[in-house]
Amino acid sequence: MLARVANNLFWMGRYIERSEHIARFMNVNYFSSLDAPNTLSQSRQFVLKSMLFMVGRPVSNDELILNEEQVIYDLGLNSDKSYSILNNIKAIRENANSARDLISTELYEAINKFYHFILNYESDVLVKRGLYDFTVNVTESSSILRNKIRGTLLHDQVYAIIMLGINIERATQIIRIINTKYNDALNAQGSYGNKIAHSSEWSTLLKCAEAYDMMRRLYKKTPASVTTLEFLVLNADCPRSVMNSLNQICSHVQVLDQSKYPVKNSTSFLVGKLRSKFSFMQVEEIEKDIKGFIDQILDDLFKISERMEQEFFNY
Amino acid sequence: MKPNTEHQIFSSYNKKDGFFDEVFNSNGDAKSIYKKLFDLYGYHSVAEYVQLNNKAKASFFNQGITFQVYGEKEAKEKIFPFDLFPRIIDADEWNTIEAGSIQRSRALNLFLWDVYHDKKIIKDKIVPLELLSSSSNYLHQMIGVDPPKGIYNHVSGIDIIKHADGNYYVLEDNIRCPSGVSYVICNRTALKRALFGVFNHYQAHTVTNYAENLMEILESVKPQGVDIPTCVVITPGMYNSAYYEHSYLAKAMGVELVEGRDLFVENDFVYMKTINGPKKVDVIYRRIDDLFIDPLEFNPDSTLGLPGLFSAYRKGNVCLANAPGTGVADDKAIYTYMPEIIKYYLDEEPILSNVKTYHCSRQDELKYVLENVDKLVVKPVDEAGGYGISIGNKLTKNEIEEVKKRILKDPRKYVAQPILSLSVHPTYIEDNNSFEQRHIDLRTFTLLGKDKEFVLKGGLTRVALQEGNLIVNSSQGGGSKDTWVLKK
Amino acid sequence: MSLEYTVTYCTENSYENDVSEAFWQFCIIPENNTTQDLISWDFDNSLKALNEVSINGFGFQVVRIHPKQLFKKITFKASFKLVKKEINPYDFILNHEVSEDYATINNIVFIADHEPFLRKTRFTKLAEKYKSLFLFDSTKLIFDNLLELNSWVFEHLYFKVGVTDVHTSLDEVIEKRHGVCQDFAHLYCAIARENNIPVRYVSGYLHQGNGYFGDSQMHAWVEAFVPNVGWVGFDPTNNILVEHNHLKVAHGKDYHDCPPIKGVVYSKGRNTTKYVVEVQASQQ
Repeated sequence: MLARVANNLFWMGRYIERSEHIARFMNVNYFSSLDAPNTLSQSRQFVLKSMLFMVGRPVSNDELILNEEQVIYDLGLNSDKSYSILNNIKAIRENANSARDLISTELYEAINKFYHFILNYESDVLVKRGLYDFTVNVTESSSILRNKIRGTLLHDQVYAIIMLGINIERATQIIRIINTKYNDALNAQGSYGNKIAHSSEWSTLLKCAEAYDMMRRLYKKTPASVTTLEFLVLNADCPRSVMNSLNQICSHVQVLDQSKYPVKNSTSFLVGKLRSKFSFMQVEEIEKDIKGFIDQILDDLFKISERMEQEFFNY
Repeated sequence: MKPNTEHQIFSSYNKKDGFFDEVFNSNGDAKSIYKKLFDLYGYHSVAEYVQLNNKAKASFFNQGITFQVYGEKEAKEKIFPFDLFPRIIDADEWNTIEAGSIQRSRALNLFLWDVYHDKKIIKDKIVPLELLSSSSNYLHQMIGVDPPKGIYNHVSGIDIIKHADGNYYVLEDNIRCPSGVSYVICNRTALKRALFGVFNHYQAHTVTNYAENLMEILESVKPQGVDIPTCVVITPGMYNSAYYEHSYLAKAMGVELVEGRDLFVENDFVYMKTINGPKKVDVIYRRIDDLFIDPLEFNPDSTLGLPGLFSAYRKGNVCLANAPGTGVADDKAIYTYMPEIIKYYLDEEPILSNVKTYHCSRQDELKYVLENVDKLVVKPVDEAGGYGISIGNKLTKNEIEEVKKRILKDPRKYVAQPILSLSVHPTYIEDNNSFEQRHIDLRTFTLLGKDKEFVLKGGLTRVALQEGNLIVNSSQGGGSKDTWVLKK
Repeated sequence: MSLEYTVTYCTENSYENDVSEAFWQFCIIPENNTTQDLISWDFDNSLKALNEVSINGFGFQVVRIHPKQLFKKITFKASFKLVKKEINPYDFILNHEVSEDYATINNIVFIADHEPFLRKTRFTKLAEKYKSLFLFDSTKLIFDNLLELNSWVFEHLYFKVGVTDVHTSLDEVIEKRHGVCQDFAHLYCAIARENNIPVRYVSGYLHQGNGYFGDSQMHAWVEAFVPNVGWVGFDPTNNILVEHNHLKVAHGKDYHDCPPIKGVVYSKGRNTTKYVVEVQASQQ
């Protein structure tokens, strides 16, 4: 496979995963805030700032009053904002276009339909009454893409590269969402006396990762900070957990690098090292310094992605 | 005159005399070969047909078989207009077309070998030297170079029309990077999706075997000493209007689709940069024009090509299909010598006829052309895509004078041909919700390899969508139709 | 008797900004032919990029360089040693009959075989108004005409460095009547081809020990096809026939077929090039 095309496939995977998380984050936060248990969480400004924080555009000015329609438009359909879902989907298609000979007709056709759906979505409809419909469509279309990837591509290097992109992005996005909701919980704690450990933001967090039902089934308790972190970071059985993503990254990277003993500091080496670290990590270590943990893991994931670029995508 | 039908979707079909209608007889009945098809189509109400037509369009759109139109705000994507009423060619007629296409391709290949080696045909005064020495497509770098297995035009696109006399004539040969073959396959797919029922009544040859044949051809011209060749398709990139075709062919052949930046040359061998390191490339099906393939040898401003590629080719370490320099033989001035060229190299009579052509470079013919501009099609010899063509009976008095001036300024640049009446075929016109007569031609795709020839049984029927228009090129707003070659 | 020459060719390219990728192709190695023997050559660059020796589209040896790192400046240094036979440039037998000469060049076989060197390129095409600048005398042998043309070009143009470059049109050279060796050679080619004589533009080195015109860069002259003899070298810049001071590298239709250096460089901003050639001789 061409190095340039591998790079395109990798990023196609990342953008597919990214658009889904942004869409779900918008959906869950917006709609759960409507009847949130405390006034701050219910505040529209709070939710909009949370959304912007999640896409990496935090609003530091507390006084600033955001325009709801503008923020929703920016995140959804504004082609001038690099983080908008529209631009993410354009990037999916652009990357797919340059790898068009390698991906299946079915996958390409699904991407194309998705693209045209978003491209033709009226921004007026989105900001006035379409938020639910729009975000659900994005998450469902992403599922279709993932299904087409699994079901219509040969599980070879092409598949491995896309899956690496998807899983690295998933781990990154889960961490970003944890970061955002942790930040929200911090901001919300003073307002209603509840301790951060039992904030309602943890339930929202699980819903953002589509992991609320799974979590309830396993713990049978209202989510708290420790259990939520344990479940979303360390539980390998949870398909959205960082651990699960790391396991997948490990197995897919082995398709590309089949050496028995990976070279020091190769992608395969870095991934294995990170996974081992997580395998024996305890949630208490994380909880002691959530901020530090988040920075560290984001940095580790970034280094893996960077290393992959040098090793496989150098053209 | 109207065809004899009550069918609603033929309500505005107006059969003009003087044109060769491929579907309706002079008395207005559907010809026997089209009878069944005509009934099947006519059965649809306008509303049903509109729905089918929209479905077919959506099929193209969803498959991403589109081209970009750059407007004021953002680039818009459009599909190539496609008509659901297929064109049928019976087995006997097809045999002539197929044999004629192969004959021309072989003759052109021998001609190319000759003009880049001994130039016997020039020395024997069959073809004037002028045609080489004034052609910018005659590449001196190719003189004395032996392309692998002696093949120059691996892929030829031959444009054929059916004239009012019912005979086929060749309009031009395209042997640089002829495009359009992917539309043949898409048209078939779209028609099958929309109207699968009609295939039950006809036995049409498949068109999906093109890629496997192209692959065989490419493998047959592998460089000396290579056992299993690595083939690639090179494209100018995803913004090229034919990018869909490039990616389709790469996918269908199961080979990499590369850009210049994916390749490099080291010690006169070509490599591509893969995730597992460099991999040697042996055969390149190139969809980049001659002058852009190697900036060190040709156009130095080209960022599409690969520095050093020509040296690797010259040394025989990589095969390019088509060979560089084939453009000299699809010049419209060379076209007019095709009957002589076929006779000279193959000692055969041409199977497909040429259209009578007047060379403005010849004094007597120039005189005739100037006196009869209103009855002729005047074309520049070196423009592709239907540009610069003037059709005499469509010109005003002033325009005729303009054309004359242009010819006189550089007579060698122009040839003229009688205005041919391309055959007509029922084509659905959305604005009128009815089928109407439109002019069509046919591009056949011929492959030439070592000990192997292949003509795609189908080809691209192109339609001039504007009423009365004779120019069918897609760059000039033409559409296309699925083309069925019937089994015997 | 033979002469040994040492040629050095140095060039330095500097760029305002980093160069992300570059390819160069040098056509500077003297060819081996009946009068010259290349003994050894050496080519280095400051980035230690590898030499790739290859053959260009016209069959001449070239060296390609493709550095694999970012840079702002690169210097190249080449040196060649070659042995050149001392020759009498008039050592050939001409046709006896003038008519034989013209019969040869008007034969279609001859014309077809020499088509590239009869072709009027952008730099060797005479404008209509200049077509009668120099007319061949058909009562004289072609060689004599070519010799006269050599003197005519020498006298018509004034040698001056820096007033023309490789893109200057032939019209401008004729009008302003000045230029360097490339312009002399192009004008010679244009007039000879106008008179149906195949002629090649030659790129090479000139040993200037004898006070010849040239400059500290590469030299250019021509080779015209003389019936019954073959290719004969004329140096219109110096009004002489080509002899042992002329070290040939390559030929083509005009300068643009055989420039000493061709490059594809990806960088933004301005760039400067310096280059210098030295030819030294010692008797063997």
